[in-house]
Amino acid sequence: MKTMSDNSEKTFSNYGVYDLESDLELLLPNTIIKFQRISDNAFSYFRKNSEGAIVEKIIPVKSNNPKIELAPIRPLNHPARRTTHMFLQFDKEIYLSENSAASIFVHCPIEIGIFLVHDSNHDSLDWITCNPLNSRFGLYGSPDTGKLCKYAKVSLATDYDDSNSYLEGVMQIVIENTLSFGQSLSKVVFQITDNAIFYQDSKTIIDGIKITMKKRAAVNIADVKTTSVETDWSMSPTWEDKTASTHMEMGLE
Amino acid sequence: MILEFLQSLSEMQLVGELTVLSLLIGGIIMAGGVIIAKIAKLLFHKYYAPSLPKDTAQNISKLIYFGILVISFLGFTSSQGIDLSGIMVAGGIFAVVIGFATQSVVSNLISGVFLIVEKPAKHGDIIELPDMGISGTLLDIGTFSSKVRKFDGTVTRIPNEKFFTSNIRSLTLSTVRRADATVGISYESDIDNAILVMKNEILQTMPFILQIPEPEFRIDELGDSSVNIHVFVWHPRDDWSHAQPILLNTLKRALDKSGIEIPFPQRVIWNGND
Repeated sequence: MKTMSDNSEKTFSNYGVYDLESDLELLLPNTIIKFQRISDNAFSYFRKNSEGAIVEKIIPVKSNNPKIELAPIRPLNHPARRTTHMFLQFDKEIYLSENSAASIFVHCPIEIGIFLVHDSNHDSLDWITCNPLNSRFGLYGSPDTGKLCKYAKVSLATDYDDSNSYLEGVMQIVIENTLSFGQSLSKVVFQITDNAIFYQDSKTIIDGIKITMKKRAAVNIADVKTTSVETDWSMSPTWEDKTASTHMEMGLE
Repeated sequence: MILEFLQSLSEMQLVGELTVLSLLIGGIIMAGGVIIAKIAKLLFHKYYAPSLPKDTAQNISKLIYFGILVISFLGFTSSQGIDLSGIMVAGGIFAVVIGFATQSVVSNLISGVFLIVEKPAKHGDIIELPDMGISGTLLDIGTFSSKVRKFDGTVTRIPNEKFFTSNIRSLTLSTVRRADATVGISYESDIDNAILVMKNEILQTMPFILQIPEPEFRIDELGDSSVNIHVFVWHPRDDWSHAQPILLNTLKRALDKSGIEIPFPQRVIWNGND
């Protein structure tokens, strides 16, 4: 159990569970979070984010041992929750020759959730993004029938340890080309509510996806499915409902 | 005692075979019908309506309510021994007379049915009726009229016939919408640089503007005093207020920061001697 900043990286607070016995201050890039005890069973919450916005709340607590969990969450809430889909545009195209497969790691933006933990329940208290400039929307498809997505231009990562603390997690993408010709891939669209998120200290891993480029009738498509990552890192209590959706289909250019 | 009372009521004839007792029974049937209709409507709203689209729930609710009322009325007429076939014949003639008199009412009713079947817009949609200069949120498509809550908070009732025959522009059917603005820069300014600074400012300071498709810039006109650039940006359909009203402000701020002049209309006058 951590009690305050472990200061393992800069002076920022690590992800994890914090006891809320008395006053607590959490420091994140461009963001400060303060809890102050105002009575025996109530705390005040103060948060100032990178855009200068201030959020203040009063938190009555029933439990004698209230806790706060700071954890990475899916990047769906800033500037407003409008979609559950993610549109990752690779900074470099990935080319796969016919009947081949490859595995890559990419960075994927994250947001940070603050949860009130009591009796094994996690109540979402607040969320922040430390990089609001990389929190934008994009459209996959045409304006009338397309899918609104959270959009990010992402770079390749070397492995799971290559996570950008508080800003981006790492996810593995397995790409398989079953077509009879080589194919380039520059983007992927998927429903990110299917992907679980894991953390350790200030690092984040996101469940991976598998992209299968294949021919269906006369059309070449990319079938995108979520794959679970096996790790002993802590699982984030993301509050979004996981839907029954399992895969997404994209057209190939 | 009660039986004797009812017996006496059955012997009290009002008109023809119509007795006080039969009228009482008819009244009970109608009252029962109204109560059952209201309860059925209430139960439907409580248990089933939340899982249905609002407009569908409203239509089914009306169907249940008026269906039970019609059945009650038929029960009432049969309890009174009224022969409806006679009414049908008289009603046919009467309907022609009434039909002419209530043409617009019937027209509104039929239009309402067609609106429900065709569903050009549904409850909660933001629509614009350009012919009538009305735009706002569609509240209800009723039996004879529809209601639209305008953006100023007032509610406008539109007869269904007019609503049905109008052009209806739906602002919520597409996933995204486009906002646009025109800004003029001086002839001395570098157009490419102006576009670059405006694009950067939009993408950095307007979080609801889509990155894909990118903001689009078109040279609209080489005007009298300025080069006019038309700017198009896309945004999620529900976030018009985060795009259109602040777009021009953002563009001006970008040009001001970069020292690019937005010229005011000016005219050079030459004297004949010059």
